[in-house]
Amino acid sequence: MFYSDDKKQYSVLNRRTFLLYLLKVSFFGIVGWRLYDIQIKNSEKYKTLSKNNQIDVEIIYPLRGKIYDINNKILASNIKVFDVYIIPENTKNINKSLNELNQIIKINFSDRRKIIELSKKVKKFEKIKVLENINWSELEKIEANKLNIEGIFISQDYMRIYQHNNTVSHLIGYTNKPNREEVELPFIVNMPNLEIGKAGIEKSFNPNLIGKSGQREIEVNSYGRVIREISRQDSQKGNDIHLTIDLRIQKYALNLLKEHKAGSTVLMDINNGNILCMASTPSYNPNKIIQKPNKEYWDSILENELSPLTYRCTQGLYAPGSTFKMVVAIAGIVHGVIDTKTKHFCSGKIGLGDRLYHCWKNNGHGLMNVSDSIKESCDVFFYEISQNIGIDKIAKVAEDFGLGKIYDVPLPNQKKGIIPSRDWKKKKYDESWYPGETLISAIGQGFVLTNPLQLAVMTSIIASNGKNVKPNIIKQNTNIVFEKLEKYQNAINIIKSSMFKVVNDNKGTAYNSRSESAPFAGKTGTSQVRRITVAERESEDFRKKEVEWKKRDHALFVGYMPVENPRYAVSVVIEHGGSGASTAAPIAKEIFQFTKKLET
Amino acid sequence: MLTKIQNLNYLLIFLVILISFIGAAGLYSAAGGSYSPWASRHLIRLTFFIFLAVILALINIKYIYQFAYVFFILSLLLLLSVELIGVFGKGATRWINLFGFSIQPSELIKITIILALARFYHDLKFDEIKQIKNLFFPILILFLPFALVVIQPDLGTALSIAMLGILILFASGIRIWKFVLGLFVLILSIPLSLNYLQPYQKDRIFSFLNPEADALGRGYQLIQSKIALGSGGLTGKGFLEGSQSYLQYLPEKQTDFIFTLIGEEFGFIGTMFIILLFLLLISVCFYISIKSNHIFGRILSIGVGSNLFIYVIMNISMVSGLMPVVGIPLPLVSYGGSAMLAIIMSLGLVLNVELNGNLKKLHNA
Repeated sequence: MFYSDDKKQYSVLNRRTFLLYLLKVSFFGIVGWRLYDIQIKNSEKYKTLSKNNQIDVEIIYPLRGKIYDINNKILASNIKVFDVYIIPENTKNINKSLNELNQIIKINFSDRRKIIELSKKVKKFEKIKVLENINWSELEKIEANKLNIEGIFISQDYMRIYQHNNTVSHLIGYTNKPNREEVELPFIVNMPNLEIGKAGIEKSFNPNLIGKSGQREIEVNSYGRVIREISRQDSQKGNDIHLTIDLRIQKYALNLLKEHKAGSTVLMDINNGNILCMASTPSYNPNKIIQKPNKEYWDSILENELSPLTYRCTQGLYAPGSTFKMVVAIAGIVHGVIDTKTKHFCSGKIGLGDRLYHCWKNNGHGLMNVSDSIKESCDVFFYEISQNIGIDKIAKVAEDFGLGKIYDVPLPNQKKGIIPSRDWKKKKYDESWYPGETLISAIGQGFVLTNPLQLAVMTSIIASNGKNVKPNIIKQNTNIVFEKLEKYQNAINIIKSSMFKVVNDNKGTAYNSRSESAPFAGKTGTSQVRRITVAERESEDFRKKEVEWKKRDHALFVGYMPVENPRYAVSVVIEHGGSGASTAAPIAKEIFQFTKKLET
Repeated sequence: MLTKIQNLNYLLIFLVILISFIGAAGLYSAAGGSYSPWASRHLIRLTFFIFLAVILALINIKYIYQFAYVFFILSLLLLLSVELIGVFGKGATRWINLFGFSIQPSELIKITIILALARFYHDLKFDEIKQIKNLFFPILILFLPFALVVIQPDLGTALSIAMLGILILFASGIRIWKFVLGLFVLILSIPLSLNYLQPYQKDRIFSFLNPEADALGRGYQLIQSKIALGSGGLTGKGFLEGSQSYLQYLPEKQTDFIFTLIGEEFGFIGTMFIILLFLLLISVCFYISIKSNHIFGRILSIGVGSNLFIYVIMNISMVSGLMPVVGIPLPLVSYGGSAMLAIIMSLGLVLNVELNGNLKKLHNA
């Protein structure tokens, strides 16, 4: 059925259809006229543009930002080098060109494959780096043969250089070619050849350090000679980064550490959280990593079982041993379990269940209060009080003092460590907590794991009378104020006087390391890496025996300086160093004295 | 059935094949004289899609009419799922994987919009068209896909959906003053929408307004495109003789900028030939529309013709510098499955309308 007014509707439709058709034809007319304008009227102009000249676009790579220490000493910058490039569209056969080049300088096989692979991916006019940092005689040879080899050219370039080789290598990291995933990163779009940071600060600050690429549009004739530059947009240099590290202390500390196989130390400025020194040994030389060929050096690093790439300050996890006792004592005082008068008798061991828990001093310390037990590092006192405090309260205080945390500092791959609690064990092992585990935890053994940076932060919080000190590695222009944890004030006062005695009282464990020029306070720690058997314990002199390096205890020391109004906090960990008093404390002393000397 | 096959509009089919062959030649040249990777797949798709289109043409139009809204809603859901994948998955995307084919729902939706509007105006009495309330539904049909495409963000497709809507509403007899009002609103909304554009889209528009200021970036594409077209002259440089080096600078030489390559190699004669072929194809759609004696068929054919027109005009205007580079392919010539599928299927619908044009009634059965 037609509707009654169908006829009228169809006539409207016909009219509209006709109008629409007219509109379309006229649009086609406009487009046709435009093409006539370009292709016929102005054809000559475009033909000359096309025939004699062509336009080339070159990406101008930005210069990577420099890295400085706190006193504006350069830690990383760029030097001029000569590199050889190939442009795929300028050679008929990229294989042939590489072959010819290979006769002048060896190009290894896998590099060649990568170049050819890359040439298929990037735009034909994009230059690809073939060799870098060539020496003078190579440069001369290539210059002489340049005309015979299609598509190659030599360009002055910049290479990253680390002025202090392995002194700050872990912290700063190094740069290298992006891998397959990294090429997709937004800040290096268009720049597949750009070296980017692969570790440390170089990695964390890639977006800042890289800067912005520029481009250059040039007109070249059919022989490839540049006729003129049409436009140029310069690249923008990357931002410089200023660290809080003091190169002088860093160097000094690393030299002290180097006397041992493996270890690390962190020195912090308590007032602002600035990390002044963060040294780890063994370390590596980033210059040897970025200068090709580097295969041998890489292999030697990877084969080294001490793993030089590991940044022990943040990535090394150690049982804190007796350095953990401050946290336990503070927990005891704050929760009213102990006060300065509380005493326990140390006979060298206590029993719990069917196990014996030993003090490091086999025949015991006698009657001990909290101050003495920190000064002489009595284990039994802490076994006793920990049972009354309970692991969960200890864990809470430990976290307030910065342990078991990953800090918001731009250091990649920080290890969190473990501050055990009932919940933690339930989640991790689906087991309930055993009372004996509280005892072991109270002397910083068992499950407890911390990294040296955390220990330095813990010490800073104690030394600052409970300010919530946060570590900081980038130099700040503003003053930083940390909030204060008031509830710990009283407990901290007691602990600080005990820590003073550790170093300055003749019964203190670190008395041998006391310093006249830079008086300091602190706490030693010796953490077992294996269980001591009953037979060994009975043979009286088991601690004096020469044991295999790997089985020796880790040596730890944490401390602050000066004693009144402390400014610096330190942590020292020497792997398998024996005891904290003999190995770690002397290093802390040297670092404090050196730092003090710099102040004057 | 056999009579239906005999009565197919072979002129239309011939035009589709001819234009697609020119496209294949362009793709062959763009690949530096090679069937792979584009030309061969282009031709395989052409064969397959024409086959599908003929099947579509033979279906009774009643079913197409009945399912018009269903098709629209399905394609809208597809478009929405692309958005959701974009939001929850790995960033923005225009593609969705369907039965092993990755397709672009924004291309398909244009066809289902035409179907939905054709059905809507078919169902409406002539008197009712005047009523304001009957504008609500068509505007909803246009606005939903438009909004989804805008946030993708795909400026070119959004613009073409808006233009398609305007042309169809015009064809269906909406009062002229409503268009004037609509245009007014559109102009007012330009400064507002500029705020929502992605930076790269703003770049494109500003570089269009002043290409020399940005001869290096976006404007550069346009200058290269014009050099390629202009250097073709009247007769072109000859097949495969186009200066490849230019086209290296055109990042989308096998898709949006294929017309430039053809213009360079076949000159003004070549570009005019293509334009005339498209004009002829659109004329066939209009002819079939006029011949059809039901509103559904009329609007459908005009819609398909207009859709084709929008593609062609936008693409050529874009490469010749008449409008900003917004990313619209040249139908049947540019490489790309979704657009080709949508175009050939829609022409299949037009073939169908012609075969069913004499139906006296097409009822709301």
